[in-house]
Amino acid sequence: MNNLTVSPAPHIKSGLTTQRIMWIVILALLPAGLAGVYIFGICSLKVIFISIISCILSEAIFLKFRQRDTRIILDGSAILTGLILAYNLPPEVPFWIPVVGGAVSIIIGKQLFGGLGHNIFNPALVGRAFLQISWPVYMTTWKNPRWALDAVSSATPLAKEKAVNFSYIDLFLGNHGGCIGEVCILMLLIGALILIFTNIISFHIPASFIGTVVVLTWIFGGDGFFKGDFVFHLLAGGLVLGAFFMATDYVTCPLTNKGKLIFGIGCGILTSLIRLKGSYPEGVSYAILFMNAMVPLIDRYTKTRIYGISKT
Amino acid sequence: MEYNQLLMIAISVIFINNFILSKFLGLCPFIGVSKSTRPALYMGLAVTFVMTASSIITWGIYSFLLKPFHIEYLRTLSFILVIASFVQLIEMFIQKFSPALYKIFGIYLALITTNCAVFGVAVLNSEMFLKVQDSFVKSFIFCLTQGFCAGVGFTIVLLFMSGIRERLEFCDIPRPMKDMPIAFIVASLMSMAFMGFSGFRF
Amino acid sequence: MKKLFKEFLKGIFRENPTFALALGLCQTLAVSTSIVNGFGMGVAATFVILGSNIIVSAIRNFIPSKIRIPCFIVIIATFVTIVELVMKAYFPLLSKALGIFVPLIVVNCIVMARAEAFASKHTVVKSIFDGLGMGAGFTLALVLISGIREAFGNGTLLGLVIVRNFEPALLFILAPGALLVIGILIGIVNLLSQRR
Repeated sequence: MNNLTVSPAPHIKSGLTTQRIMWIVILALLPAGLAGVYIFGICSLKVIFISIISCILSEAIFLKFRQRDTRIILDGSAILTGLILAYNLPPEVPFWIPVVGGAVSIIIGKQLFGGLGHNIFNPALVGRAFLQISWPVYMTTWKNPRWALDAVSSATPLAKEKAVNFSYIDLFLGNHGGCIGEVCILMLLIGALILIFTNIISFHIPASFIGTVVVLTWIFGGDGFFKGDFVFHLLAGGLVLGAFFMATDYVTCPLTNKGKLIFGIGCGILTSLIRLKGSYPEGVSYAILFMNAMVPLIDRYTKTRIYGISKT
Repeated sequence: MEYNQLLMIAISVIFINNFILSKFLGLCPFIGVSKSTRPALYMGLAVTFVMTASSIITWGIYSFLLKPFHIEYLRTLSFILVIASFVQLIEMFIQKFSPALYKIFGIYLALITTNCAVFGVAVLNSEMFLKVQDSFVKSFIFCLTQGFCAGVGFTIVLLFMSGIRERLEFCDIPRPMKDMPIAFIVASLMSMAFMGFSGFRF
Repeated sequence: MKKLFKEFLKGIFRENPTFALALGLCQTLAVSTSIVNGFGMGVAATFVILGSNIIVSAIRNFIPSKIRIPCFIVIIATFVTIVELVMKAYFPLLSKALGIFVPLIVVNCIVMARAEAFASKHTVVKSIFDGLGMGAGFTLALVLISGIREAFGNGTLLGLVIVRNFEPALLFILAPGALLVIGILIGIVNLLSQRR
């Protein structure tokens, strides 16, 4: 009876399993992480490590609790969540921050909904938002790059209180304070190119997301209209990390291309609003979480016509 | 007229201090009616209508009855009686003149009578605007705006929630968490997302 | 006498207004930021439930069925107004902390539900015990949730620090924390009642 497998469509298997996708994404994210370690030092590596371990352990414990197969932790998604969460943390956070963050991401953000594929919100962002709201001081205590003269807390480019001027090259290479994985735009873009070339993500979300932010910050970002420094907003903060790696998460983004464009535009509008008008310096995480909540509605109203069925 | 202030009230009540996700007013219908999109939309519209109307009526009562005669302590009693009667009247009105509309909206109206949200917005209006304002026109516009926008905020969140819960029907949620607990968790995550709006200034 | 005691216990466990019936959630989540607030609200609500249960039960045979809801509302609103004024006079700090949620007791589903479902159909004595039970159950739930939120979010219980060097997670005192705590608590309650 082993020759008869009853399973839902599609019945033609491609080489791209969930596991493979996860590992390619992890691979694409590695350059940015290496840059983070290079720029900020070994503390970054510690945070990344702890975050990943916490995610894997949380998932294993919860699966055991639900009496499910714990080998699921090998599908790479927990590791990916841990990696992305770490990339969103300042390099010198106390060790328990990624521990708590990882547990919250996996358990509340993913497993309570039923595991991979069932969550509504991006798990890593759930963890990050939880950490940011709970311990705002730790989550905004930055570190300068290793070679900077003053190794104490510094400002990030987006910080509104201290207006430090960073050159575009500095922003592009990551020569400034910030979260581990968001600062080195160069490495992030290399990773993004890998994802686009392997067709894992489409350009719809990143293009609409980044495009909207560029347009809005250009129009409203400066004194008077159309004087905003949109290159700055493009390179500063978590926009590139968010647009290419977090907003594009398969499970939490819309199914259709039209939906993806709406999603990206929505994220862009919210990010720009929070950056320009809100009290938080960075809005990418909240913007994506907000749009995640809208995804079921977006999917509902951008459904593609099923062939052969009338419009009602 | 300071339009800025009105905009701030609107943004505040819809996003920053959203009635459901921040003030917890209106949780009962939120959990109860948010299982699918269409009822959610109708409930939201009904609530918005009742909230707006109640804001106007309670503005009238407070400004012309309670304050001049210094019987503000009768606020709770008068507000709730008026709101309940008003909703009852609307129900009867709709039932008589549009049975079709009643079939759709009827049950929701009954649920709204003792809804924290409607009574809450009236009390909130009186605390924020009516106790301090002296100009009738100003307080009227503020109350009206806040009442309407509170309803809008309520409807938006209800819609989001219904979309999510429809999708959750297909998810492998652990049995103890099914239905209500996971709804609260989702609300918690939505509340976290809405916190991104804090501190908005225009 | 045993039967009466059963009515009392029912409100605490099997028909706990917060965990089993999901009533009065607005207040529960809003005021449970510290045990003192939670307890204060619980006591205030208990007073209202008790008062309204007694009166409704006493005059249950005289109220025409068609106007019973408005009658209940008047009775409940009166008690709430009494509580409002007493609190403002003798417990001003608590009154300020609880804010608009004191007058909101009038739309607290628990009070109306008990009046409608129980007090209007049973004797005064039974209604007293039912009211006390529901109020106690509500207060217990409030104290439990407030305790968790205060402990995790402030590092204190009743204002006293429990563990030194503990970094409180601010989230728990804020809105998302309330929703999270009650979601998890109801989940745990479900889990325990499943296992039984």
